[in-house]
Amino acid sequence: MKRKTTLFFILAFITYITSGCSTQPKPLYTYGDYSEAYYASKKELTPESALRLQKSIEYAIENSGESSSGRVAPGLYANLGYIYLKTGNSSKAIENFKKEKAIYPEAAHFMDRMIKKVEVAQGKTDEK
Amino acid sequence: MKNKQYIILLLSLVSVLILSGCGPAHITKGSAFPKMYEQQPRSLLILPPMNESTDAEAKDYYMTTIEMPFALMGYYTFPTEMVSDIMKQEGVYDTEILYNMPLTKYYDYFGADAVLFTSIKKWNVSYAVIASTLTVSIEAKIVSTKTAEELWKYTGTVVVDLSGGNSSGGGLIGLLAKAIATAINTASADYVHYAKIADKRFIYTLPAGPYNRHYMQDQSVELINQTKQH
Repeated sequence: MKRKTTLFFILAFITYITSGCSTQPKPLYTYGDYSEAYYASKKELTPESALRLQKSIEYAIENSGESSSGRVAPGLYANLGYIYLKTGNSSKAIENFKKEKAIYPEAAHFMDRMIKKVEVAQGKTDEK
Repeated sequence: MKNKQYIILLLSLVSVLILSGCGPAHITKGSAFPKMYEQQPRSLLILPPMNESTDAEAKDYYMTTIEMPFALMGYYTFPTEMVSDIMKQEGVYDTEILYNMPLTKYYDYFGADAVLFTSIKKWNVSYAVIASTLTVSIEAKIVSTKTAEELWKYTGTVVVDLSGGNSSGGGLIGLLAKAIATAINTASADYVHYAKIADKRFIYTLPAGPYNRHYMQDQSVELINQTKQH
Protein backbone atom coordinates (compact mmCIF):
# COMPACT_ATOMS: atom_id res chain seq x y z
CA MET A 1 0.00 0.00 0.00
CA LYS A 2 2.79 2.37 0.95
CA ARG A 3 4.53 1.57 -2.28
CA LYS A 4 1.46 2.49 -4.23
CA THR A 5 1.24 5.90 -2.61
CA THR A 6 4.90 6.68 -3.30
CA LEU A 7 4.42 5.53 -6.87
CA PHE A 8 1.39 7.78 -7.12
CA PHE A 9 3.37 10.72 -5.84
CA ILE A 10 6.22 10.06 -8.23
CA LEU A 11 3.79 9.86 -11.13
CA ALA A 12 2.01 13.01 -10.00
CA PHE A 13 5.32 14.79 -9.75
CA ILE A 14 6.34 13.73 -13.25
CA THR A 15 3.01 14.89 -14.67
CA TYR A 16 3.39 18.17 -12.83
CA ILE A 17 6.83 18.77 -14.30
CA THR A 18 5.95 17.82 -17.87
CA SER A 19 2.66 19.74 -17.85
CA GLY A 20 4.49 22.76 -16.49
CA CYS A 21 6.67 22.74 -19.56
CA SER A 22 3.89 22.39 -22.08
CA THR A 23 1.65 25.13 -20.68
CA GLN A 24 4.20 27.85 -21.44
CA PRO A 25 2.33 30.31 -23.66
CA LYS A 26 3.60 30.48 -27.19
CA PRO A 27 4.95 33.85 -28.34
CA LEU A 28 3.00 35.80 -30.94
CA TYR A 29 5.79 35.35 -33.49
CA THR A 30 8.84 33.15 -33.99
CA TYR A 31 12.07 35.13 -34.13
CA GLY A 32 14.71 32.47 -33.50
CA ASP A 33 18.01 34.24 -32.92
CA TYR A 34 17.15 37.14 -35.24
CA SER A 35 17.81 39.77 -32.57
CA GLU A 36 21.24 38.32 -31.74
CA ALA A 37 22.15 37.98 -35.42
CA TYR A 38 21.01 41.55 -36.10
CA TYR A 39 23.16 42.75 -33.21
CA ALA A 40 26.18 40.74 -34.45
CA SER A 41 25.86 42.27 -37.92
CA LYS A 42 25.71 45.75 -36.39
CA LYS A 43 28.73 45.06 -34.22
CA GLU A 44 30.81 43.93 -37.14
CA LEU A 45 29.52 43.68 -40.67
CA THR A 46 31.32 40.79 -42.31
CA PRO A 47 30.17 38.34 -45.00
CA GLU A 48 29.72 35.82 -42.16
CA SER A 49 27.60 38.08 -39.94
CA ALA A 50 25.51 39.15 -42.94
CA LEU A 51 24.91 35.52 -43.85
CA ARG A 52 24.02 34.70 -40.26
CA LEU A 53 21.42 37.47 -40.29
CA GLN A 54 19.90 36.19 -43.53
CA LYS A 55 19.86 32.62 -42.16
CA SER A 56 18.17 33.78 -38.95
CA ILE A 57 15.43 35.56 -40.92
CA GLU A 58 14.91 32.49 -43.11
CA TYR A 59 14.75 30.30 -40.01
CA ALA A 60 12.17 32.60 -38.37
CA ILE A 61 10.05 32.52 -41.55
CA GLU A 62 10.25 28.73 -41.90
CA ASN A 63 9.29 28.21 -38.26
CA SER A 64 6.53 30.82 -38.10
CA GLY A 65 3.97 28.02 -37.71
CA GLU A 66 5.24 27.39 -34.20
CA SER A 67 4.09 30.79 -32.97
CA SER A 68 0.63 31.50 -31.55
CA SER A 69 -0.30 33.65 -34.55
CA GLY A 70 1.14 31.23 -37.10
CA ARG A 71 2.17 34.30 -39.08
CA VAL A 72 5.58 35.51 -40.14
CA ALA A 73 6.58 38.44 -37.88
CA PRO A 74 6.19 41.98 -39.27
CA GLY A 75 9.09 43.18 -41.36
CA LEU A 76 10.83 39.84 -41.83
CA TYR A 77 9.85 39.32 -45.48
CA ALA A 78 10.68 42.98 -46.13
CA ASN A 79 14.08 42.53 -44.48
CA LEU A 80 14.78 39.42 -46.53
CA GLY A 81 13.70 41.18 -49.70
CA TYR A 82 15.99 44.06 -48.87
CA ILE A 83 18.94 41.69 -48.40
CA TYR A 84 18.21 40.25 -51.86
CA LEU A 85 17.95 43.75 -53.26
CA LYS A 86 21.36 44.68 -51.88
CA THR A 87 22.90 41.59 -53.46
CA GLY A 88 21.33 42.43 -56.81
CA ASN A 89 18.61 39.79 -56.89
CA SER A 90 15.71 42.03 -57.94
CA SER A 91 13.15 39.31 -58.67
CA LYS A 92 13.63 37.68 -55.27
CA ALA A 93 13.46 41.11 -53.66
CA ILE A 94 10.11 41.87 -55.30
CA GLU A 95 8.82 38.39 -54.43
CA ASN A 96 9.51 39.00 -50.73
CA PHE A 97 8.15 42.56 -50.75
CA LYS A 98 4.92 41.14 -52.16
CA LYS A 99 4.78 38.54 -49.40
CA GLU A 100 5.20 41.22 -46.73
CA LYS A 101 2.34 43.17 -48.24
CA ALA A 102 0.13 40.07 -48.50
CA ILE A 103 0.39 39.33 -44.77
CA TYR A 104 0.38 42.92 -43.54
CA PRO A 105 -1.78 45.42 -45.43
CA GLU A 106 -0.21 48.15 -43.25
CA ALA A 107 2.97 47.66 -45.30
CA ALA A 108 1.27 47.92 -48.71
CA HIS A 109 2.05 51.57 -49.34
CA PHE A 110 5.74 51.21 -48.52
CA MET A 111 6.16 47.87 -50.31
CA ASP A 112 4.49 49.18 -53.48
CA ARG A 113 6.91 52.08 -53.41
CA MET A 114 9.85 49.69 -53.07
CA ILE A 115 8.59 47.37 -55.83
CA LYS A 116 8.17 50.34 -58.16
CA LYS A 117 11.69 51.53 -57.33
CA VAL A 118 13.17 48.11 -58.10
CA GLU A 119 11.21 47.82 -61.34
CA VAL A 120 12.35 51.25 -62.51
CA ALA A 121 15.96 50.33 -61.70
CA GLN A 122 15.50 47.02 -63.52
CA GLY A 123 14.12 48.79 -66.59
CA LYS A 124 17.15 51.04 -66.67
CA THR A 125 19.59 48.14 -66.57
CA ASP A 126 17.63 46.32 -69.26
CA GLU A 127 17.91 49.30 -71.59
CA LYS A 128 21.67 49.40 -71.32
CA MET B 1 -12.95 65.81 26.62
CA LYS B 2 -11.25 62.44 26.49
CA ASN B 3 -13.59 61.32 23.77
CA LYS B 4 -12.62 64.25 21.59
CA GLN B 5 -8.96 63.36 21.89
CA TYR B 6 -9.68 59.83 20.85
CA ILE B 7 -11.60 61.02 17.85
CA ILE B 8 -8.78 63.29 16.78
CA LEU B 9 -6.30 60.48 17.17
CA LEU B 10 -8.51 58.13 15.18
CA LEU B 11 -9.06 60.71 12.47
CA SER B 12 -5.37 61.39 12.12
CA LEU B 13 -4.65 57.67 11.93
CA VAL B 14 -7.26 57.22 9.24
CA SER B 15 -5.90 60.14 7.25
CA VAL B 16 -2.38 58.73 7.46
CA LEU B 17 -3.71 55.42 6.23
CA ILE B 18 -5.52 57.07 3.33
CA LEU B 19 -2.63 59.29 2.38
CA SER B 20 -0.09 56.50 2.40
CA GLY B 21 -2.46 54.34 0.38
CA CYS B 22 -2.78 57.08 -2.20
CA GLY B 23 0.98 57.44 -2.63
CA PRO B 24 1.43 55.35 -5.77
CA ALA B 25 -1.60 56.46 -7.74
CA HIS B 26 -3.46 53.74 -9.57
CA ILE B 27 -3.26 54.68 -13.20
CA THR B 28 -4.72 52.54 -15.92
CA LYS B 29 -3.60 52.25 -19.53
CA GLY B 30 -6.85 53.86 -20.59
CA SER B 31 -6.47 56.91 -18.35
CA ALA B 32 -2.75 57.31 -19.02
CA PHE B 33 -2.88 56.99 -22.80
CA PRO B 34 -6.44 57.75 -23.97
CA LYS B 35 -5.27 58.92 -27.40
CA MET B 36 -3.90 55.48 -28.20
CA TYR B 37 -7.45 54.15 -27.88
CA GLU B 38 -8.95 57.05 -29.80
CA GLN B 39 -6.61 56.98 -32.76
CA GLN B 40 -5.85 53.25 -32.74
CA PRO B 41 -2.63 53.31 -34.74
CA ARG B 42 -1.93 50.00 -36.47
CA SER B 43 1.58 50.61 -37.71
CA LEU B 44 4.68 52.05 -36.09
CA LEU B 45 7.61 53.48 -37.97
CA ILE B 46 10.63 52.96 -35.75
CA LEU B 47 13.19 55.65 -36.39
CA PRO B 48 16.87 55.23 -35.49
CA PRO B 49 17.38 56.19 -31.85
CA MET B 50 18.60 59.59 -30.79
CA ASN B 51 21.79 59.12 -28.83
CA GLU B 52 22.17 61.43 -25.87
CA SER B 53 24.52 59.10 -24.05
CA THR B 54 28.29 59.29 -24.01
CA ASP B 55 28.70 55.99 -25.86
CA ALA B 56 28.89 56.47 -29.63
CA GLU B 57 28.06 52.85 -30.38
CA ALA B 58 24.89 52.82 -28.26
CA LYS B 59 22.75 53.96 -31.19
CA ASP B 60 23.56 51.06 -33.49
CA TYR B 61 23.34 48.51 -30.73
CA TYR B 62 20.13 49.78 -29.20
CA MET B 63 18.48 49.88 -32.60
CA THR B 64 18.64 46.09 -32.80
CA THR B 65 16.42 45.69 -29.72
CA ILE B 66 13.42 47.91 -30.55
CA GLU B 67 11.57 46.10 -33.33
CA MET B 68 10.72 42.85 -31.55
CA PRO B 69 8.95 44.05 -28.39
CA PHE B 70 6.70 46.45 -30.29
CA ALA B 71 5.82 43.80 -32.87
CA LEU B 72 5.09 41.28 -30.10
CA MET B 73 2.79 43.84 -28.49
CA GLY B 74 0.67 43.62 -31.66
CA TYR B 75 1.74 46.49 -33.88
CA TYR B 76 2.93 46.37 -37.45
CA THR B 77 6.52 47.52 -37.18
CA PHE B 78 8.31 48.70 -40.28
CA PRO B 79 11.72 47.03 -40.76
CA THR B 80 14.09 49.34 -38.88
CA GLU B 81 17.27 48.62 -40.79
CA MET B 82 15.61 49.07 -44.16
CA VAL B 83 13.85 52.29 -43.10
CA SER B 84 17.09 53.74 -41.76
CA ASP B 85 18.93 52.89 -45.01
CA ILE B 86 16.19 54.38 -47.15
CA MET B 87 16.21 57.61 -45.20
CA LYS B 88 19.94 57.81 -45.89
CA GLN B 89 19.33 57.17 -49.60
CA GLU B 90 16.87 60.04 -49.49
CA GLY B 91 19.68 62.17 -48.14
CA VAL B 92 18.77 62.26 -44.46
CA TYR B 93 21.73 61.08 -42.43
CA ASP B 94 21.21 63.02 -39.28
CA THR B 95 18.86 61.59 -36.67
CA GLU B 96 18.12 65.08 -35.46
CA ILE B 97 16.73 66.02 -38.87
CA LEU B 98 14.61 62.86 -38.86
CA TYR B 99 13.19 63.82 -35.51
CA ASN B 100 12.25 67.29 -36.71
CA MET B 101 10.69 66.31 -40.03
CA PRO B 102 7.03 67.04 -40.58
CA LEU B 103 5.24 63.89 -39.48
CA THR B 104 2.96 63.82 -42.50
CA LYS B 105 6.03 62.91 -44.57
CA TYR B 106 6.20 59.58 -42.77
CA TYR B 107 2.61 58.95 -43.66
CA ASP B 108 3.09 59.95 -47.28
CA TYR B 109 6.25 57.93 -47.80
CA PHE B 110 5.71 54.83 -45.67
CA GLY B 111 2.00 54.89 -44.91
CA ALA B 112 2.80 54.75 -41.18
CA ASP B 113 0.04 55.62 -38.72
CA ALA B 114 2.51 56.66 -36.04
CA VAL B 115 6.21 57.16 -35.50
CA LEU B 116 8.18 55.70 -32.60
CA PHE B 117 10.89 58.01 -31.35
CA THR B 118 13.45 56.61 -28.95
CA SER B 119 16.15 58.42 -27.11
CA ILE B 120 19.08 56.88 -25.28
CA LYS B 121 19.46 58.98 -22.16
CA LYS B 122 22.08 56.90 -20.42
CA TRP B 123 24.25 54.02 -21.56
CA ASN B 124 27.23 53.87 -19.30
CA VAL B 125 29.07 52.21 -16.48
CA SER B 126 30.18 54.30 -13.59
CA TYR B 127 33.28 52.80 -12.13
CA ALA B 128 33.96 52.96 -8.47
CA VAL B 129 36.27 50.96 -6.32
CA ILE B 130 33.55 49.57 -4.13
CA ALA B 131 30.53 49.34 -6.43
CA SER B 132 30.35 49.81 -10.18
CA THR B 133 26.93 50.29 -11.74
CA LEU B 134 25.71 49.94 -15.29
CA THR B 135 22.88 52.25 -16.32
CA VAL B 136 20.73 52.01 -19.42
CA SER B 137 17.99 54.59 -19.69
CA ILE B 138 15.68 54.86 -22.66
CA GLU B 139 12.87 57.29 -23.38
CA ALA B 140 10.30 56.24 -25.97
CA LYS B 141 7.28 57.99 -27.44
CA ILE B 142 4.71 57.32 -30.11
CA VAL B 143 3.50 60.28 -32.13
CA SER B 144 0.62 60.26 -34.60
CA THR B 145 1.54 61.03 -38.22
CA LYS B 146 -1.94 62.42 -38.80
CA THR B 147 -2.45 64.78 -35.89
CA ALA B 148 1.17 65.12 -34.63
CA GLU B 149 -0.16 64.38 -31.15
CA GLU B 150 1.86 62.42 -28.67
CA LEU B 151 -0.05 59.18 -28.08
CA TRP B 152 2.22 57.36 -25.65
CA LYS B 153 5.42 58.10 -23.78
CA TYR B 154 7.48 56.20 -21.29
CA THR B 155 10.96 55.92 -19.85
CA GLY B 156 12.65 52.67 -18.99
CA THR B 157 15.69 52.68 -16.78
CA VAL B 158 17.80 49.78 -15.61
CA VAL B 159 20.54 50.20 -13.06
CA VAL B 160 22.66 47.16 -12.39
CA ASP B 161 25.16 46.68 -9.63
CA LEU B 162 28.12 45.06 -11.32
CA SER B 163 30.18 44.39 -8.25
CA GLY B 164 28.13 41.31 -7.46
CA GLY B 165 28.72 39.29 -4.32
CA ASN B 166 31.33 40.47 -1.90
CA SER B 167 32.71 37.04 -1.24
CA SER B 168 35.98 37.42 -3.13
CA GLY B 169 37.91 39.87 -1.09
CA GLY B 170 41.38 40.66 -0.01
CA GLY B 171 41.19 44.22 1.25
CA LEU B 172 41.64 47.23 -0.95
CA ILE B 173 43.78 45.47 -3.53
CA GLY B 174 41.09 42.85 -3.99
CA LEU B 175 38.46 45.55 -4.49
CA LEU B 176 40.60 47.39 -6.96
CA ALA B 177 41.21 44.21 -8.93
CA LYS B 178 37.46 43.65 -8.98
CA ALA B 179 36.78 47.15 -10.28
CA ILE B 180 39.25 46.60 -13.10
CA ALA B 181 37.73 43.22 -13.89
CA THR B 182 34.31 44.90 -14.08
CA ALA B 183 35.61 47.45 -16.54
CA ILE B 184 37.03 44.76 -18.76
CA ASN B 185 34.04 42.46 -18.55
CA THR B 186 31.38 45.03 -19.41
CA ALA B 187 31.12 44.21 -23.08
CA SER B 188 28.60 45.82 -25.41
CA ALA B 189 26.54 42.63 -25.28
CA ASP B 190 25.81 43.35 -21.62
CA TYR B 191 24.41 46.74 -22.50
CA VAL B 192 22.16 45.19 -25.11
CA HIS B 193 20.95 42.66 -22.57
CA TYR B 194 19.99 45.40 -20.11
CA ALA B 195 18.56 47.59 -22.86
CA LYS B 196 16.18 44.71 -23.61
CA ILE B 197 15.14 44.71 -19.96
CA ALA B 198 14.56 48.48 -20.14
CA ASP B 199 12.43 47.87 -23.26
CA LYS B 200 10.36 45.32 -21.36
CA ARG B 201 9.79 47.83 -18.56
CA PHE B 202 8.13 50.33 -20.81
CA ILE B 203 6.53 48.02 -23.32
CA TYR B 204 4.11 46.66 -20.78
CA THR B 205 2.61 50.13 -20.31
CA LEU B 206 1.77 50.27 -24.02
CA PRO B 207 -1.83 49.55 -25.02
CA ALA B 208 -1.98 46.34 -27.07
CA GLY B 209 -1.87 46.65 -30.84
CA PRO B 210 -4.24 45.21 -33.45
CA TYR B 211 -2.40 41.89 -33.71
CA ASN B 212 -2.52 41.31 -29.96
CA ARG B 213 -5.51 39.43 -28.54
CA HIS B 214 -5.96 42.13 -25.88
CA TYR B 215 -6.43 44.83 -28.52
CA MET B 216 -8.89 47.49 -27.30
CA GLN B 217 -9.58 45.44 -24.18
CA ASP B 218 -6.77 46.50 -21.88
CA GLN B 219 -7.94 50.00 -20.90
CA SER B 220 -8.46 48.96 -17.29
CA VAL B 221 -5.04 47.34 -16.86
CA GLU B 222 -3.27 49.13 -14.05
CA LEU B 223 0.18 50.57 -14.43
CA ILE B 224 2.50 50.16 -11.51
CA ASN B 225 4.65 53.13 -10.77
CA GLN B 226 8.07 51.85 -11.75
CA THR B 227 11.05 53.08 -9.90
CA LYS B 228 14.68 52.53 -10.62
CA GLN B 229 15.57 49.09 -9.47
CA HIS B 230 16.66 45.81 -10.88
